[in-house]
Amino acid sequence: MLAPTRTALSAFSTRQFLCQRCLRRAKPQPLASASPARVPRRNFQTDGNGPSKDDLPFRKVLKDVAKQKKKLSRENPGSSKNSQKDKDPRLEKWELTVGIEIHAELNTARKLFSSAATSINASPNTHVALFDSAFPGSQPQFQVETLIPALRAALALNCDIQHKSTFDRKHYFYQDQPAGYQITQYYEPFARDGHVTLYPHDFPGGVSPEGGPVTIGIKQVQMEQDTAKTVLQPPSTHLLDFNRVSHPLVEIITLPQLHHPRTAAACVRKIQAILKDVNAVTTGMEMGGLRADVNVSVRERNISLGSAGHSYYGVTGLGQRTEIKNLASIKAVEEAIIAERDRQIELLEGGGAVEGETRGWTLGSKTTRRLRGKEGEIDYRYMPDPDIAPVIVGTAVVEHLQKTLPRLSDDCIKMLVDSKEYQLTSKDASTLILLDDGDRLDYYLDVVQKLQSAFSGNQKVFDRVGKAAGNWVLMELGGLFKNEYWSESRVPSSELASIIAHVLRKQITGRTGKLLLSTKFDGDTRSVEQIIADEDMLLQPLSRPEYISLAEKLLQEKSDMVQDIIEKGQHQKVKWFVGQMMARSAEGAVEPGSAEEVLRELLKLPPVEQPK
Amino acid sequence: MSRLPAYYKSIAKQSKFAHLNVFISLAEDAIAIPPTSDSNEPRHKLAGKRIAIKDNICTSDLPTTAGSGILKDFISPYDATVVKQLRDAGATISGKTNMDEFGMGSHSVHSFFGTVSQVGAGGVPLSAGGSSGGSAVAVKYGQCDVALGTDTGGSVRLPAAYTGVIGFKPSYGLLSRWGVIAYANSLDTVGILAKSVDTIQSAFDPTSLPPSTRSRLRHPRPSNSPLRIGIPLEYNISTLQPSIRKTWIRALHLLESKGHTLHIVSLPATRHALSAYYILAPAEASSNLAKYDGVRFGSRADGKDGTPESVLFAKTRGAGFGPEVRRRILLGAFSLSAQAIDNYFIQAQKIRRLVQRDFDSVFRASNPLLSDIEEEMGNDGGVDVLLCPTAPTLPPRISELESQDPVAETVNDVFTVPASLAGLPAISVPIGVRRSSNEIKEKGAEAEQATGMQIIGQYGDDGLVLDVARQLEEAVLE
Repeated sequence: MLAPTRTALSAFSTRQFLCQRCLRRAKPQPLASASPARVPRRNFQTDGNGPSKDDLPFRKVLKDVAKQKKKLSRENPGSSKNSQKDKDPRLEKWELTVGIEIHAELNTARKLFSSAATSINASPNTHVALFDSAFPGSQPQFQVETLIPALRAALALNCDIQHKSTFDRKHYFYQDQPAGYQITQYYEPFARDGHVTLYPHDFPGGVSPEGGPVTIGIKQVQMEQDTAKTVLQPPSTHLLDFNRVSHPLVEIITLPQLHHPRTAAACVRKIQAILKDVNAVTTGMEMGGLRADVNVSVRERNISLGSAGHSYYGVTGLGQRTEIKNLASIKAVEEAIIAERDRQIELLEGGGAVEGETRGWTLGSKTTRRLRGKEGEIDYRYMPDPDIAPVIVGTAVVEHLQKTLPRLSDDCIKMLVDSKEYQLTSKDASTLILLDDGDRLDYYLDVVQKLQSAFSGNQKVFDRVGKAAGNWVLMELGGLFKNEYWSESRVPSSELASIIAHVLRKQITGRTGKLLLSTKFDGDTRSVEQIIADEDMLLQPLSRPEYISLAEKLLQEKSDMVQDIIEKGQHQKVKWFVGQMMARSAEGAVEPGSAEEVLRELLKLPPVEQPK
Repeated sequence: MSRLPAYYKSIAKQSKFAHLNVFISLAEDAIAIPPTSDSNEPRHKLAGKRIAIKDNICTSDLPTTAGSGILKDFISPYDATVVKQLRDAGATISGKTNMDEFGMGSHSVHSFFGTVSQVGAGGVPLSAGGSSGGSAVAVKYGQCDVALGTDTGGSVRLPAAYTGVIGFKPSYGLLSRWGVIAYANSLDTVGILAKSVDTIQSAFDPTSLPPSTRSRLRHPRPSNSPLRIGIPLEYNISTLQPSIRKTWIRALHLLESKGHTLHIVSLPATRHALSAYYILAPAEASSNLAKYDGVRFGSRADGKDGTPESVLFAKTRGAGFGPEVRRRILLGAFSLSAQAIDNYFIQAQKIRRLVQRDFDSVFRASNPLLSDIEEEMGNDGGVDVLLCPTAPTLPPRISELESQDPVAETVNDVFTVPASLAGLPAISVPIGVRRSSNEIKEKGAEAEQATGMQIIGQYGDDGLVLDVARQLEEAVLE
């Protein structure tokens, strides 16, 4: 979908890239430093007042910022609570460590070990092969194509794809597990040793609690079967829907390298976004397509546990961990970690010890609850599945998938921010990518491409089209689509490009451009060219004599101000005359630069130094 | 004794052999259709033949119980691939044969549907061998022309040896396991029982992998050239009944008389094979049988099953499985547990590999399953097939089994398990036991008993194994 610009990207392929703009933005910004012109722009997602107006009073700006902040904290109640909790003096003493296991449903046509079709909302028990319901005598038939989204996911997480991997049985009895075991990759997973980097733009508000980018190791990625859906019919009936049984999943296991609840939440969100980017998964977490288990431990900051501590895959000196299972949303991940961290600290400060156990969490509760202790821990009796041959992945397949991997958000943001063609802010870039499943980005790239061909001979304007298109697509068009579903055909990209081109050529004013846009948005079928012609919208700039006569007339009217300028040297008052000249002429007919030039000439003042 | 559903019971009782408990269910219209004019076509090779199917192989028209209470009313929604292939070749499925529950046993006494037996001298019930005892007895008494069994550690060969019929276990994987209820799936092999090698061949051809695939496994060998017959030293154990040792020697002479040469070979890992088998098979069984919870098929215990105090499905599984199955599930669950897997399951897997290497080192042909590099290394001093007894004893009386402890039962598998672990083709051919006049005096007419001699070949050498079996069959008649 991003083919036109793919080649331009190769220059940005280094993954450990440090996003400088994010770093800059990550520094706390005092409220007052926000320029009035910029703030409403940032409000575009949150403020109900539509596109910005340049004459917005400062008071209103302040109000908007406060409003936005409130809304933000409403959306992320965890983050504001965090910032209070971060001040909890106990956190100076205790360090939190978290590792995450993420389960995501792969986007495949068939199940992992049968040719039954995968389904999301099909009527219950309509997509079940003999093997899926573990009928006697049935056998697994590994569906090779399910490897493709799994490999894409692992490559996007920078993993080493293993030449050989195997499937194992993990045994436990539960009604949603028809065979009495789940087929997974315990001994030899198909991908190992990857990582994911969290940039400040991956955090809500663009502020990372880690201060800068942080890289989280991925221990392994494995393929496995999903379970059946249990539908509870109160009081005591459990209905089973086997459609989901054996839907292919990937389990992604991170190293215990997360030290903040917000980082853990951002990590899950980021992995989710990456999986979506490469088209590896079906639905997001909220649809049940993604589930997470978190392992939580705390340790005293200044005391090295050394060999006395616990270790996991090379990470040593850890406190005793507990596992919180089956978290179904990012919010649940963050809140469960906070609750469990606080419970463990309280326990340790009270002289107790943390027990290795499995715990559960329900959204909205204050604390995690014990599911089973170590003595109740299930021995899964992992056994290689004798019916499934090892999976051998050739290097050619890996290379091909690597080469054709859809572009990741991070790479996209890098391109939009750093490339001369686009020059967006990282905030605008990430907004573009997040909107409408990437459709907005495609639209934006279309507009830019059209503008670039329109201005190919004019380097000065050519360099500005990326930024200008960004403003129009996000701010002006974004404002119009605020309460409606995105549709790229509502204002075709060629029409928006035409509007922007007219504005950049100064053939129409910005205000006229906005008017044109909303006319098109409201369904005017005429072309932009046609509307401009029909409505006589083309700009008629003043001629030089007209400038002079208008300026002279004004200077005569306000001779006292002329005196102030000339005798008292109050040169800034020239601006007032510029404003008056604009106000007294047709919309857009007077350019402030030319007006000032003429005024200074008449007042015999030195020309304005060109700010560079 | 029989716990058949009434409608099957009545049919089964029509047979004069009903008291032997051979069939769990019989097809109502199991009258063989006489061969039609196009019976010469290869795909109708089995036209008019009645085939009995071991009850752990799925059929859509007759129940498939695997000899277990937990599947006592189970009717499979589909035919196993081998059943379909036999039907396509014109065969008639005559019934489903009794067996040790899920194939776990060596005497076919561990069945929900009662003990299978054969008639010994003086009408004494003898062990039919297990677990495919029903299939073997059905062949012995002409209740079918061919029977399918399954052989995990000797379950086709041992009953064949006990009942005096031919029992063939092909190379692992040559016959489809789709629709075969798993006991230990890395070992489970569909096997064929019949009274002649030709009949076995006629059922093997339509069911095994297509000739194009089989040809990739075949080892080119000049026909009619003398074969090198191996005598594995380790099979001459102290507990081998003298009459069986004598029969072994007789069988060796018979092959020698056909122009083949005899060679003593050593398979040192053999003595560990039985222990390894009884770790691996129960381990896989504990996993394969986890699906029987009464939720989607099979029977379920009455009332609630799974309270906070008990393990989910414990009631259903406790009631549905017989004692031998419960014993092996527990054994397998233990050897797979975190505390035991290294000392039991992993060690047993290593032994399994050593057993395979032993065989590879004595065979002239290399193992086609190993990498190409090893394939290049021929073993010109090696043997073509091995000949050894199928069982160390003659069939015991059923009455003797009742007081036998579970471990003693496993000893019968000592000669059959190694070929299972290595996945090799092996066939048991009956040879009459000749006894001294003293023994005849003691045991009476039992002296006419036959025992089984086992021919084992390299992986994929199924054709050669059948050839040698045919030669032995002929030599006995001469």
